[in-house]
Amino acid sequence: MRAYVLRRLVQIVPTVLMITFVVFLMMQSIPGDPVVALLGDAYTEEDAERIREAYGLDRPVVEQYLIWLGKLVRGDWGVSILTGRPVLQDVLVRLPVTLELVVLSMGIALLIAVPAGIIGALRRNTWADYAATSAAMVGVSIPEFFVGVLLLLAFSFGLQGVLPSSGWIYLPGTCPNMVCGVSLWGNLQHVLMPAIALGIGRAAILTRLLRASMLEVIRTEYVTTARAKGLGERPVVLKHAFKNALIPTVTVMGLQVGFLIGGAIVVETLFAMPGLGTFGIDAIIARDYQQVQGFALITALAFVLINLFVDLLYTLLDPRIRYA
Amino acid sequence: MSNGGESATGALGGAEFPLDVAAPGLGARPGSPVREAIRRLRASRTAVLGAAIVATLVLGAIGADVLAPGSPIESDQSQTFAPPSADHPLGTDQLGRDMLSRVIHGSRVSLVVGVSSVILALGLGVPLGLIAGYLGGRVDGLVMRAMDLILAFPVYLLAIIIMIMFTPTAGLLGTIKVVGAIAIVRVPIYARLVRGSVLSIKEKEFIEACRALGVRDGVILLRHVLPNCLAPIIVTTTLGIATAIIVEATLSFLGLGTQPPTPSWGWDLKANVAFIQANPWLSLFPGLAIFVTVLGFNLFGDGLRDALDPRLK
Repeated sequence: MRAYVLRRLVQIVPTVLMITFVVFLMMQSIPGDPVVALLGDAYTEEDAERIREAYGLDRPVVEQYLIWLGKLVRGDWGVSILTGRPVLQDVLVRLPVTLELVVLSMGIALLIAVPAGIIGALRRNTWADYAATSAAMVGVSIPEFFVGVLLLLAFSFGLQGVLPSSGWIYLPGTCPNMVCGVSLWGNLQHVLMPAIALGIGRAAILTRLLRASMLEVIRTEYVTTARAKGLGERPVVLKHAFKNALIPTVTVMGLQVGFLIGGAIVVETLFAMPGLGTFGIDAIIARDYQQVQGFALITALAFVLINLFVDLLYTLLDPRIRYA
Repeated sequence: MSNGGESATGALGGAEFPLDVAAPGLGARPGSPVREAIRRLRASRTAVLGAAIVATLVLGAIGADVLAPGSPIESDQSQTFAPPSADHPLGTDQLGRDMLSRVIHGSRVSLVVGVSSVILALGLGVPLGLIAGYLGGRVDGLVMRAMDLILAFPVYLLAIIIMIMFTPTAGLLGTIKVVGAIAIVRVPIYARLVRGSVLSIKEKEFIEACRALGVRDGVILLRHVLPNCLAPIIVTTTLGIATAIIVEATLSFLGLGTQPPTPSWGWDLKANVAFIQANPWLSLFPGLAIFVTVLGFNLFGDGLRDALDPRLK
């Protein structure tokens, strides 16, 4: 098991290198560069040349990538051309915001989907099932930002002032500057709406998957056997059926990570949150190469690590699956 | 999209080729499998509802010039932020443009991008999957590694960077760029799906019979293998249109879709969020339009899956 995890961790390296290299090539292939935006009205050809030289932008693309990589292995993620701040510092400041958003939204999704999926399958073709499947159908068809807009509307009219519509209050201990709002309650108020907006869609996908795989599992012989030997309904459903129904569900959730990253970008933009999503989209639009590389790196790492986590989760759910 | 390649094999296209009837389970069924699938489709309430929504939207998009009360682009500075009224049933935006006209015209970008990007992705992915699966060996390895390369990217990271590379613009060209970006991201899905189906179909007896008869590879692929992969392709395509419409709306929302003045739901929604307190209807209706469109394709796709793959019922 340990050998397997180690091997998988080693395999992460080429994937991450490939993603960051392709992103680097793509960003560099766009005509123009951030120097023009940096100098603005004061642009002169001489100044531009000087800055390009200082940042190594005049060198061949592959060389620039290798320089970036060389610094990276020494823990240096580069310095933003536009802000002058170290990229790693910005990423570390913004990471907790996005992590909190994503973890909370997955929590909300599970809280809705697990009961909804199980009830939908056990009470198949009753009103409870129809309610769960219809709600799930609505949930998979509604984009995150529209859920966000509906929440904004609800809280700016019916529930005026209960939750703030934008901005951020940091959790105690995560404030990046000397001055910023810090409070546990304020943080919860700010994260709740974005987390619901991001969680609803995941809840819907999970409900549909879980209901479908529960329907398959409860027809199997081992569930009949469990019932026949006199087990109560609760252990049959939770220990025998649900655990096995989770396997296909977990697989698809792993595949959803790419969409989750997109969802985080959108929700953070809508609610003006200082997370990695807004960091990434701003960097890409401004073509701040170093920041884009930092964003691609952290995204690629998250992507492959979550997929590894999903594979390891299988062994917990199904002891027959062993990695050697 | 949970059904694998094999599950729906043979549900369609069985009538295309008499030898296929020898496949287990198909010979006993009365009537052609296609007719049977259509019967099941018509009996499914979700499929009919989805089809009705999609048909209404398509008609609306085609007849937008006649249906819309005004121009979606012309602004009337004396009528900015007008609340809903008889003249402007959905009100007007900050430039005094009629929202109803913008919502009706916005359907064009969403539908065109949704459908064309999937067609383009199919056009690239299906041949790649057919060839990789049928030839196997090094060709298979090469094609599938290229597909894995695209799949290794988080979807939106890739789509956003491709859009920046293309430089978003307005009008038809701007729409084509979005179609291209979404198609590139979606190609591997179809390539993998088709390859999976081909791998199982090419081992069947009727393909062996074709080879024994000396039928050329190209003919075997197009006449005998492809028709038997159609069922999962059709289902994935319908649901893929729904996904593509959401991706388009998301790109527009981030300002990276078709640019103004071309009316686009995602863009309108984003542009009006700033005025949500005073003019809530402005972001409500473009959002509702996206939701209803995606819902239509999802309902139809779900119904199709049930109809084409009775095993899952």
